[in-house]
Amino acid sequence: MAIVTLQNVTYKYPLTEAPVLQNVNLQINEGEFVAVIGPNGAGKSTLCYTLAGFVPHFFKGELTGTVEVAGVETHQSSLNEWVLNVGLAFQNPFNQISGAKYTVFEEIAFGLENIGVPREEMKPRVEKALALTGISDLADRSPYSLSGGQQQRVALTSILVMEPKVLVLDEPTSQMDPIGTREVFGVIRTMAERGMTVVLAEHKVEWIAAFADRVVALKDGQVLLDGKPGEVLTSPLLEEAGFGISRYTSTARKARELGLWKKDQLPITLEEAVEGFSLTSSPSPKERGE
Amino acid sequence: MHERLSFYVHRDSPLHRLNPLTKLTMVFAFILLSFGSPWYWTPHILIVLVILPLSFVGRVQREYLLTAARLIFPAAGFLFLMQSLFQPIGQTIWFRWWVLEVTHEAVAFAFVNAARIIVMVSSFTLLLLTTHPSELMSDLTRRGLPSQFAYVIISTLQIIPQMQAKAQTIIAAQRSRGLDTQSSFVKRVGALVPLVGPLVFGSLVEVEERAIAIEARGFTSSHAKTSLCEIPDSRFDQILRGALIVSVILAFVSRLWLS
Ligand SMILES: Nc1ncnc2c1ncn2[C@@H]1O[C@H](COP(=O)(O)OP(=O)(O)OP(=O)(O)O)[C@@H](O)[C@H]1O
Ligand SMILES: [Mg+2]
Repeated sequence: MAIVTLQNVTYKYPLTEAPVLQNVNLQINEGEFVAVIGPNGAGKSTLCYTLAGFVPHFFKGELTGTVEVAGVETHQSSLNEWVLNVGLAFQNPFNQISGAKYTVFEEIAFGLENIGVPREEMKPRVEKALALTGISDLADRSPYSLSGGQQQRVALTSILVMEPKVLVLDEPTSQMDPIGTREVFGVIRTMAERGMTVVLAEHKVEWIAAFADRVVALKDGQVLLDGKPGEVLTSPLLEEAGFGISRYTSTARKARELGLWKKDQLPITLEEAVEGFSLTSSPSPKERGE
Repeated sequence: MHERLSFYVHRDSPLHRLNPLTKLTMVFAFILLSFGSPWYWTPHILIVLVILPLSFVGRVQREYLLTAARLIFPAAGFLFLMQSLFQPIGQTIWFRWWVLEVTHEAVAFAFVNAARIIVMVSSFTLLLLTTHPSELMSDLTRRGLPSQFAYVIISTLQIIPQMQAKAQTIIAAQRSRGLDTQSSFVKRVGALVPLVGPLVFGSLVEVEERAIAIEARGFTSSHAKTSLCEIPDSRFDQILRGALIVSVILAFVSRLWLS
């Protein structure tokens, strides 16, 4: 069942000339993990703000078309109700620290306090969320004393703990090392499997390939491609439109030109690449030994 | 980085365990008493017999005495000197020096004023030393202070050190591009102008993002807020608050009576 529906959504910030989102149509099912890719300025963040209700309730400007989440239309709702359904974490972790709390534990509890969760329920929920994102050991630290990657985990945890139906993440791993990124993608994947709907704007194509159910490619505010990672990420349109693509795909594409890639399908992950190349690989050691 | 953002010293003491509102009431009661009481020696007595012992009760005497020695007493001493020398009041001249006349009345006036300043700053210092800022704010919000107001206060307390750190970063960045921030005063003031842009504009963008972030966490939610930490408000707290308020009223009434 679709939990998020965007129909002909067009949006223009108050001070921009051209629309930043143009005629966007999107249906997202419950529990789906959708990645949004696109070059800088494509409108990924704007799409995230739109899903999270900040367009049009916080950024004014003109929004036409309909945005519906869990059966409610954005114009019919207010921001403080909308955020109960849709959680948003964005790129800069420093500005997501509330500034009102002195420890990470309190920081995570901030959202629960605001929406009136009873105290007895609050502690176990915060503890569970901290354990989920692997930051239990930071609970007593000041949020400001953490590294960028740690702060990003705090920002993600602060939203996860509120258990929104739809989780919108705008480059939530931009300051993380590869190990951190893998862990966080794992957490997001787990949340999706538990039924949370996830929309993730991200540049790290190789991680998307390994974790997302679906990829939406945005270009100049329009949906260029929308489909399974294997289809979208290997489409020749992507490279033409200036998207970053997986190195496995680009390597295999080169190899295909040289006749070294025999499969129809281009790979998006390391495993697929290894598998594909092993089909066409050089003579086996035995043959060579002859 | 900024692990310690507030004055708060985490210790277990009777003063720490008092309800934040009781301590706040105490601060204002001491200030009002020291200004409103008809008896000349009130502020002095408060300092010696109440505030100083309280710093021991709260187990923050070291921190308090350090602050007093570095900040409170020098400031009060300066005020005392200025007022003794320059207050043009009184006839009882103690001594004359150059164009200055030091009178008994001016010194008495300066002495009580300095003590009042000490009471004021000291009681706030004790409050800050023994009260966790977020506890104070949660308690006040629970009692009906608008949460926006509480947020502004508490985030300002936290943001000052960050602004300082950021100014340092911008200075370093601009100096590395050849901006002069180290020569003569006029030049240095001139050199600060390019700082203002990034600091203020950067802050505006940050304010916007922060607004989004706290909004995303239900800050303006219409639900009644709850609070993570339980803030005790004992019978003793209530009685103490009552007693403080009564003593302030008594002080003012007796002052009116006597005048
Ligand atoms: N608050 C704003 N006011 C006016 N224009 C904006 C605002 N935010 C973004 N824009 C413009 O909207 C367009 C899309 O920006 P957006 O931030 O959505 O892109 P993005 O895909 O997230 O890019 P990036 O990969 O750099 O994060 C850009 O041209 C940008 O200049
Ligand atoms: Mg963006």
